[in-house]
Amino acid sequence: MSNNVRRRFWRGVWAALKRRPSRIAGLVIVLLFTFMAIAGSWFYPDRLPYDVDNIYAPISWKHPLSTDFEGVDVLALVITGTRGVLLVAAAAGLVTMFVGTAAGLYAGYRRGAPDSVLMRIADFVLTVPGFPLLIVLTTAIDVGTWWKMALVLGLIGWGGLARAVRSQTLSLRERGFIEAARGLGLPTRHIVVKQLLPNIAPYIATNLLLAVTAYIYAQVGLYFLGVLPLDTSNWGVMLNAAVFQSGALISPDALPYLLAPLGAILLLTLGVVLIVDALEEIFNPRLRER
Amino acid sequence: MKRSVCAIAAALAFTLAAGATAGCSPSKPEAKKSGGTYTSVFANHAIDPQSPINPFAGKGNSFTGYNVTPLGIRKNHLTDHNQHYPAIAESWQVSPDGSEITIKLQPNAKWSDGTPVTAEDIKTSAAVAFTQGGSIFAITPGSTGALGEVTIVDEKTVKFTQAPGARNNTFLFSVLAMNVLAKSVWGPQLPADFWDKVKKGAGSDDAAKAARDEITALGKRLITFGPAKDVSAGPFVLESVNASEAILTKNPHFYNADKIGPEKVRLKNYSGNEQIWNYLIAGELDGAPFTATPTNVVEQILKVPGSKKITGLSQVSAALVFNQKYAPFDKVEVRQALAYLIDRSEVQKIGAPDSGKPSEHTHGLIEDAAKAWIGDAEVSKLNPYNPDKAKAEALLKQAGLTKAADGKWMLPNGQPFTFKLQVPNGFSDWVAAGKNVANQLTNAGIAVEATTSADYAVYQKEIAEGKYAAGFWLIALGPSTYNAYARLYGGANGWSAFGGKLAHKPAGEGGNWMGGAETANVAGLGTLNPGELTYQLSQLPVDQAKDTIVKLAKYTNDQLPGIQMWNYVNVKFVNTTRYENFPPDNCECLRETDGVWMQLGYIQPKK
Amino acid sequence: MNSFLWRLAGHLTRGLAMVWVVTTFTFFLIRLMPGDPVQIQYERLIAQGMSPDQAESATAITYGFLPDGPVWQQYLDYLSGLLVLDLGVSVESQGIPVADRVFGAMPWTVILVLSGILISFLIGVGLGVVAALRRSSFVGHSLSIAGSLLHGVPPFVIGIVLAALFTRRWRWFPSGGVYNGDEVAPGFYADFMLNVAYHMVLPASAFALASYGGWLLAMRSSVASVLGDDFLLAAELRGLTSWMRFRYLARNAILPLFTVLAISFGLVFGGAIFIERIFNYPGLGMLLLSSIGARDYSMMSGSFLVITVAVIIANILADLFYSFIDPRVRRQT
Repeated sequence: MSNNVRRRFWRGVWAALKRRPSRIAGLVIVLLFTFMAIAGSWFYPDRLPYDVDNIYAPISWKHPLSTDFEGVDVLALVITGTRGVLLVAAAAGLVTMFVGTAAGLYAGYRRGAPDSVLMRIADFVLTVPGFPLLIVLTTAIDVGTWWKMALVLGLIGWGGLARAVRSQTLSLRERGFIEAARGLGLPTRHIVVKQLLPNIAPYIATNLLLAVTAYIYAQVGLYFLGVLPLDTSNWGVMLNAAVFQSGALISPDALPYLLAPLGAILLLTLGVVLIVDALEEIFNPRLRER
Repeated sequence: MKRSVCAIAAALAFTLAAGATAGCSPSKPEAKKSGGTYTSVFANHAIDPQSPINPFAGKGNSFTGYNVTPLGIRKNHLTDHNQHYPAIAESWQVSPDGSEITIKLQPNAKWSDGTPVTAEDIKTSAAVAFTQGGSIFAITPGSTGALGEVTIVDEKTVKFTQAPGARNNTFLFSVLAMNVLAKSVWGPQLPADFWDKVKKGAGSDDAAKAARDEITALGKRLITFGPAKDVSAGPFVLESVNASEAILTKNPHFYNADKIGPEKVRLKNYSGNEQIWNYLIAGELDGAPFTATPTNVVEQILKVPGSKKITGLSQVSAALVFNQKYAPFDKVEVRQALAYLIDRSEVQKIGAPDSGKPSEHTHGLIEDAAKAWIGDAEVSKLNPYNPDKAKAEALLKQAGLTKAADGKWMLPNGQPFTFKLQVPNGFSDWVAAGKNVANQLTNAGIAVEATTSADYAVYQKEIAEGKYAAGFWLIALGPSTYNAYARLYGGANGWSAFGGKLAHKPAGEGGNWMGGAETANVAGLGTLNPGELTYQLSQLPVDQAKDTIVKLAKYTNDQLPGIQMWNYVNVKFVNTTRYENFPPDNCECLRETDGVWMQLGYIQPKK
Repeated sequence: MNSFLWRLAGHLTRGLAMVWVVTTFTFFLIRLMPGDPVQIQYERLIAQGMSPDQAESATAITYGFLPDGPVWQQYLDYLSGLLVLDLGVSVESQGIPVADRVFGAMPWTVILVLSGILISFLIGVGLGVVAALRRSSFVGHSLSIAGSLLHGVPPFVIGIVLAALFTRRWRWFPSGGVYNGDEVAPGFYADFMLNVAYHMVLPASAFALASYGGWLLAMRSSVASVLGDDFLLAAELRGLTSWMRFRYLARNAILPLFTVLAISFGLVFGGAIFIERIFNYPGLGMLLLSSIGARDYSMMSGSFLVITVAVIIANILADLFYSFIDPRVRRQT
């Protein structure tokens, strides 16, 4: 049964992707960034070479995206910066996935008191303005290391997923096959893992993709504002240096240094948007063209 | 740097200014008059409409040089920190032993409400300064060089007497730096027996403590006080403040009013250097404060019609400073070797390309000040530590380090020699320079990583707690040589003066994070205690300080508690489209605000 | 009406509980913060040339503005202060009430956020209907993609681009501030309002651009799902005019958007920090950022608390409004 669901799901995904070439492009973009995150830094030495006589170098084959304030190749900075950005976001996504799914499933399946308690907490997490909270948190706890950052981001952002999972669980719970499974006396564990999860998985996937994007931006944003130590390679660090220290908004020389991380963010957003477009069509068939 | 070096380090006389939500009348301001509006940025502190018109308040709406002015304005003189331009004080006389200062006020100095500035006002100003404490106004039992008495000689003459006890050569400039406040505004805030309390507070019994507590409580109340309407003895009066700017109009009663060119001054708030650069490029500013500006932006600014750069002396240097508790920085050879390994001109090119000059020597003073104090001959005897790999290797080997086959240096205990170089976020020049130093040393076989603290606050705290092995630090703060050397041989290195006595705390205790040796033997000079020498500089008359400075310069050059990276250059951008007659390059007034320039007769509207 | 009051009471209770939790949380959080404001001030005075003992006595004033006493006592004092809107005094600004500055900055943020949301809501809903009705066409598809893209792009990217284009490249709009104090003084007259509006155009547009995509997407899927509903079919069969059908459609499709509205306030205030920083707009976000730099605990918790309360109030209003216009909810309770 679950295998069947899964296979149907993947076939649906592929069909939806194929329907428009733009969606394939989206997949390619996201895969490209994933590749850059995993393998990007293998192409460069630990410390990127700098060249003080080549600050904000004109665009050339050697420096396709110019150089920064100490003559480091900007393209190399963008590529090596991908890992930190995606690693934190992916790890934070995992945290959100676990906490959000567990809370949503438990609340939706158990109902009653645990449900209302968990949903009050989820509402709370949803209501408290996340980004201001993040800024306040960064001053009190050291979130410089990637896993701490991921943990904080993930714990701030699970509310929405928990709510979505809960409402799906609630509606699935009343469906025939779950009723039947319960009637057969199958253990709860079995019902949750084998019956409920596979059906909720698509919603988790969509939500997760959006959450990961949001985490990328939250993290880049924190670096951009300069509330986190700037010694890592991260697009946000580049943006901060470009706007506030190199005067990229007012000096054409430094413009590529600003545009490169901006472009990376835009491209990644485009990729995610195109994939979400496909996912939405799968889960909301009414949107499908007639 | 985010905040300009000036704001942090320069201008001892910079007292912070104040103002309130004044003059929010729902009528349009009257049309501009002939003098026009002079637009600038106030760099000393953020502008806050909720703050009082109070020069002591952290973000008060009193703007130094504009609507608040001291008795005298300090010149940026290389060797004599007692040189001032007259302001509210027309002239002053110092008794031979330096303990008595008689000040004559400008005969026609008037407040913006038309009443004359009198000796009574000056006495009230001193009283308010006492409630806020600091410098000579500290009521600490046994504190050195404190102000003892203020005597009114006649309506325009007032005498300041130093408390009996040890001499402090900062007395004159501390008196002259005092903000002049109106008795009509501040007098009613003080109890009638205020001066009795000050006298009582200087004792050491319980009654004295009670008096001091009372004064502190009063200070806490006064710092939030401000008049509803500005009463100014300066060239301008506050008209209105909003979150992004303060508007000041010319004070017609100012004693020197016909010298003041602009009819109005508009001081813009700012949240970062980038904003100031943008205003400059838009041609919106007539004058701007110092910012550490990258070369590409400087070029852009100078392309603006009328744009001009004024450069002058900046009495501050950036240095790489070691925490000698961390091995192997306790070995002087290692510190010297690092000095040989770092190419300072490259560091400066990356860190402070337009607002710095690579330092020629490490001696704890800016290069010009050192030459003026001890002469070119003595300075040229110092070791410049020009990049020299061979000498560095020899020194490192001498310190017991070994060079591995892959070119990496190994400590005597077999571990690789690596360390973290700490810089605070927001100080962009330090961040860039730190990265460069790390790169240079890594290439030389010492793996250094430049790490940043979240902001200056964290940096300050953690550096004081001894958490960093090495970091950047502002040194050579002039013009007082005591201030300059106290950066290296003061509290941060274990020496502190309390009640006229100097004590040394061991490394890691009481804020001693540099952890240098208390004494060291310098070739040709014998064993020196730099802390004691520095303390002497606070007492010695200016003309007797040379020998001590020579010793300290040599000690610093040999022992290298830090490596002086670059000396800052004070770069100011002005725009001559609307105003002319700006101060020339190297003017001693350059680090004062534009308001002070106007008081000196600079900045006149273009005809 | 009675049910409405109950609903309101429930909201207020939950809202107050949240405020309490947030207050408690920030109160104890900031006591973990590294960096002592007195230390920072002390160091600044040292840098300005004071000797250590002198600087120490000068900072004595600031020590007076640091809360002291046992932590629980401070906590109780803080809570009881909140009842009368007393948020404590600023440490960095030495004794200026936090409430003065926070409530001084708040109007600018609220005006900015509200106008941003209103513009984006109107544009987003309008385009969303188009995108849903023409979802098979090129127009519909590109509208959706553009909407998703802008929805996905973080607000600071949009802010930077707008600032670069319209305040730096072409200097059409001011690069900071709320009004030009040299040209106008505050008051209720046209020139002043125009000056304020002129300073607000870009930051508000940045908000609108960053969030209209969300409304577009939500409206599109909402309209799409309503389109298939039976009642529309019934209306068509009953021969109602297309205008009547459109009203049915719009009314039913727009309802779910109000739940989204409630959630979006939190995000919008987060975005405000970037927008205000990029456009140098002196609102709550800037206040929060600058207080962090100065380690001004009380200012920081004060501004964070007020941002949170604003979001909670906006949530309650959105929900009440929703219950007011949605007959189903109205009847239910």
